Amino acid sequence: MRVAFVGKGGVGKSSLSGSFARVLAEAGERVLAIDSDPMPGMAFSLGLEQSDAGLPDDAVEEYEEDGRQRYRLREGLTGTDAVEQYAQRAPGGVHFMQLGKARGPQWNNRRQHFGFQRLLDDLPGDGWSIVGDLPGGTRQPFLTWGRYARTFLVVIEPTPASLLTGRRLARLAETARAPRVVAIANKVREPGDAERVSSRTGLDVIGSVPFDPALADADRLGKAVLDTDPDGPTATAVRSLVQTLQKSEEQS
Amino acid sequence: MKIAVVGKGGSGKTTTSAVLARTFARHGHDTLALDCDSNPNLGISLGIGEEATEALVSVRDAVDAGEEQHATSMDDLVSRFGVDAPDGVRLAVVTAIQNPEPDCP
Ligand SMILES: Nc1ncnc2c1ncn2[C@@H]1O[C@H](COP(=O)(O)OP(=O)(O)OP(=O)(O)O)[C@@H](O)[C@H]1O
Ligand SMILES: [Mg+2]
Repeated sequence: MRVAFVGKGGVGKSSLSGSFARVLAEAGERVLAIDSDPMPGMAFSLGLEQSDAGLPDDAVEEYEEDGRQRYRLREGLTGTDAVEQYAQRAPGGVHFMQLGKARGPQWNNRRQHFGFQRLLDDLPGDGWSIVGDLPGGTRQPFLTWGRYARTFLVVIEPTPASLLTGRRLARLAETARAPRVVAIANKVREPGDAERVSSRTGLDVIGSVPFDPALADADRLGKAVLDTDPDGPTATAVRSLVQTLQKSEEQS
Repeated sequence: MKIAVVGKGGSGKTTTSAVLARTFARHGHDTLALDCDSNPNLGISLGIGEEATEALVSVRDAVDAGEEQHATSMDDLVSRFGVDAPDGVRLAVVTAIQNPEPDCP
């Protein structure tokens, strides 16, 4: 399974994608979790400490093409090698790779930015499931940071701004010919919320996660909700989401 | 006075900006609220509604379409492509991503 979580800032992409990766691993899959947001996020919900480190500088080399500065993985280093060598191990055996996090005023992130994209072009295939946490908003998720995904999961809260973002993403996906785009309703409080998400965005809602104070509490502690509340509403909802997607993959 | 509001996704930038803008306007200041997010939602927080927010044309799109040739200044652009929001705030969107552009992160 190859999925990428997208959506407006703050809708719950990191909380849900990290939990999703852990649940997939629980189900016996080999999982690579990829955080391509330059702001911190997915590490916490996987149950890791936050660090700024991305690909080490010497994993990426600079070269010139037609007078332009470009970046690629170091000679001889495949994407799969990079995952084996540099991914952190999260609970449940999840492999975790992140784009380096913004570090101070002078941080030049070109090497990280483009080196990491080369990694995305050469991710391990057979036998791996990939779960991506993308930056918030509508900044080109389909063609760049999420290009490895077969299914895009748009996380949507039942608020006007989040619904509007969902509609924009659905539109961008059409023009980008993204493979499959579906919605997850998050922070759901009322029975009609999921239906509202689907009617206002035109996207199929394949799962709903209730508004869960335990998730907000875990977040304040910088911990994974799967560790602080392993059988709570979020864990239950994410397990059912994983099952739904596994079934739909079998059929396709 | 020029204020920029920044921070992590979901931390309250848009809400804070909208409350600041309307507060300044209520105190009699000429206030321009500039939405610099490529996924612009400030209109919703200012109170112009979801549909009007969705329909806003960004200044960048206007410039790309050559419209700035008909505008004499930045102020003129804002008056052409901005909209009025409650309390007398003027709202303009700087840029919005409408179409995919390959190789642009
Ligand atoms: N189902 C939920 N119930 C309650 N709170 C939630 C839920 N999902 C997410 N949150 C809270 O919403 C906030 C944003 O969550 P998160 O960081 O996962 O979002 P994000 O989409 O990754 O944000 P960003 O765009 O900044 O990366 C956090 O405080 C989190 O605890
Ligand atoms: Mg996040």
